[in-house]
Amino acid sequence: MSAYYYFFKMRILTTLAYRFEVFTAVASNAVMLLATVFLWKAAYRGIGSVQEVSQHQMIVYAILSVVMGAVLSVNVQDDMYYRVREGHIATDFIKPVQLLGMFLAEDLGTTVSALVNRAVPLILLASILFTPPLPVSLTAFLLFVPSLMLSFLLLWLMGAIVGMISFWVLELGNLGIVKDAIVRILSGSLIPIWFFPDWMGTVSAYLPFQYMYQTPLSIYIGKITHSQAGTALAIQAAWIAVLAFIAYAVWQRAKRVTLIQGG
Amino acid sequence: MVTAIRYHVSVAYFFAKLAVQRQLEYPLFLVSWFLMIPLQYISGVWVLKLMVEQFQALAGWTFPQLAFLYGLGLLSHGLSVIFFIQTWHIDNMVIRGDFDRMLLRPMNVFFQFVVNYVNFIGIIDLIPGFLIFFYGCAQVGFEWTLVNVLKLAAVVIGGMFIRASICTIMGSAAFWTKRSGSLISLTLATMERTTMYPLSVYPKVIQLALTFILPIGFISFYPATDFIGQEDGFTLPVGLAIWTPIVGIVTFAVSHFIFQSGLKRYESAGS
Amino acid sequence: MIELSNVVKEYTVIKKKSGLSGSIKSLFKPEKTIVRGVDGISFRIEKGEMVGYLGPNGAGKSTTIKMLTGILHPTSGTVRIGGISPQENRKSVVKQLGVVFGQRTQLYWDLRLGESFELLKRIYRIDEETYQSNLEMMYEVLGIDQLINTPVRQLSLGQRMKGDLAAAMLHSPSILFLDEPTIGLDVEAKQNIRSFIREMNAKRGTTIILTTHDLDDVEQLCKRLIVINHGKVVEDGPLSELILRMAPYRLLVLDLSEMPDPQTLHHHGAELIKQEGLKLTYRFHKSDISASELISGLSAKLSVVDLGVKEPDIEDMIREMYRSSSTA
Repeated sequence: MSAYYYFFKMRILTTLAYRFEVFTAVASNAVMLLATVFLWKAAYRGIGSVQEVSQHQMIVYAILSVVMGAVLSVNVQDDMYYRVREGHIATDFIKPVQLLGMFLAEDLGTTVSALVNRAVPLILLASILFTPPLPVSLTAFLLFVPSLMLSFLLLWLMGAIVGMISFWVLELGNLGIVKDAIVRILSGSLIPIWFFPDWMGTVSAYLPFQYMYQTPLSIYIGKITHSQAGTALAIQAAWIAVLAFIAYAVWQRAKRVTLIQGG
Repeated sequence: MVTAIRYHVSVAYFFAKLAVQRQLEYPLFLVSWFLMIPLQYISGVWVLKLMVEQFQALAGWTFPQLAFLYGLGLLSHGLSVIFFIQTWHIDNMVIRGDFDRMLLRPMNVFFQFVVNYVNFIGIIDLIPGFLIFFYGCAQVGFEWTLVNVLKLAAVVIGGMFIRASICTIMGSAAFWTKRSGSLISLTLATMERTTMYPLSVYPKVIQLALTFILPIGFISFYPATDFIGQEDGFTLPVGLAIWTPIVGIVTFAVSHFIFQSGLKRYESAGS
Repeated sequence: MIELSNVVKEYTVIKKKSGLSGSIKSLFKPEKTIVRGVDGISFRIEKGEMVGYLGPNGAGKSTTIKMLTGILHPTSGTVRIGGISPQENRKSVVKQLGVVFGQRTQLYWDLRLGESFELLKRIYRIDEETYQSNLEMMYEVLGIDQLINTPVRQLSLGQRMKGDLAAAMLHSPSILFLDEPTIGLDVEAKQNIRSFIREMNAKRGTTIILTTHDLDDVEQLCKRLIVINHGKVVEDGPLSELILRMAPYRLLVLDLSEMPDPQTLHHHGAELIKQEGLKLTYRFHKSDISASELISGLSAKLSVVDLGVKEPDIEDMIREMYRSSSTA
């Protein structure tokens, strides 16, 4: 365990080490925040509420979505892709630390440091310029926190699975960018699924993506009731079980392939 | 003069030829980009469609008009990805000491930097650009007169230069700070968010800044208002497409100057 | 021809503090220190010289080369190549320079060797005739005609270095800077490269400035050495003179056929430093006595079967120079 704690801590330290990077990365997120909120304000100009969501709720949703995107850091797919590409992966398999455990520790490290150096400034900025992005109720907030953690796990497992695919299709380039594009649109992080055409909403309910962003955000703004929130949390947990199983199976196969081919 | 031009053209042509040959060595690497780029832009414009359908015209822009604007922005974006992608990576070039070799050659370093790479796979960015733009053109009834086509070409090329100049200026920060990668992603994010949506969505302060400080408005917003007769939200006498190439030339000159000042502080790599 | 006077190069180094609180501190208030990489270097190199520029790692060798070639601007002092500053008048200076960095190729990794040459032909505006005759010469001296259509990534390290040398000479430069040209190469490739360097110097009168850690390079190529340490010149002179001053001793080793009479072992011009059975080792000063004088003197008294004269060890000499300049 101490080895993983070390990776976790090192990531926090290296993230803080480049001050110029830290400042501009926050600024980058701030641009996204401003652009998204102004776009929603333009959409709501003179309109009360659409799909039972008011302008205030939607703005809180948009702010939190940008903050989540800035905080939940998943580098596992890129790390894995580069380790396979550079041929380090074969030696990684014989190291005493579990590679996936190391990547998870590092991503958690980045996420924890991002809570301080990204979430805080972004929420402050949003509060000053627009409105403090407060949850609809204390209960909603208490349900939001576990849902957010489950979201992180979902995003992370998806990244790990896509990263492992590079064992087989390395020459196709980093497929993680394709996955990211799909997640952006189908997770509700750009626009909530309830604005999608009905048939897409139905399909989406059976895919894992909307449980990555839309579920915690809907809980937070009170778009879904507490009992619906309970169901949503259960679905999130179920998807985690499914993805974890897939990740494990793919990992075992990848390990076999690598050890036979010698990387 | 003629020999100087012929010299620079022949070097630029040869650099481009080598760059394309190098990229063709690993054609499959493009697959993930080939999937991701169209997905990203098509879904981006589709989100605008959903918003207009569920809500209303955004700041008075209907969906066809938004598609026209989005496509126009994407065209100059695609061109800058093809010809000027190296302006995104000045920090890596500084850290790796890539300017050493250029400084050792008897040719202007900024010129070498600009022509040194042609990223022909940037065509992937142009395809959704063309699709969305032509859709927008058809929907808003854009007239394909000779004057309009010439204006359009001047706007797209001018827009490419504005984008390249802004990235060069931001990237040149690396000569002072060593790192400018996230400054570039900030710039790219800003440009994406402000060339593909109407500038009039934003408050006046931001519109002013994006007109006079970072002239992003000239890349697509002002020319688009001119082409389709939309309000520019500002009613300054700037809604003319002809301003785009002029601003492009001016910003390019400024970026050249900043790049040169940075190069004087260049510290090469290691010892 | 090449002239440096009082050249200083300073760097700003940001000190990173350790630990979490240190990281946060440097996030807002970084601590800067100024380091002198090159600290007042002056020297002059004439046309046609072959000079070894030596120094331990981090002594400022590469920094000096980069200032000579116009890549870096000195903090103070002046650099002149043929009377012109490479910083102010870069283009006209670099036209006459060829530069090879042993660790970084200027060839395109994924393309045929010839394509990199074609590019240089255009950049340097080499006319067809000169290009062809230079290429012929490179084929002949380096034997790279077989490699011209091979992708650079498939070349061995030695072949790639030959390609880099050829690329640096295509525009007929009058000065060639070589930064570690033999690093990582096998013995044969090293010999090829050394004979190429000698040939360019002899046939074309190319001035050669070489940095290296390989002392065979120094011995076989450099008539003059400039040694720097901590950014300062510590030695500058002809190799032979440096040897005479720094390592003036030579050794004479004799094998005898029978045990000598201890009385006969003494010689006025040399000192017996070792005796192991029938093997004697004398140390003598070059300026006191010549080797032949000593040999004839000793063989008159002793029954010599075999003998050998050992030159001073240049490696020891250089190590001594670094050491004495560090403690000073």
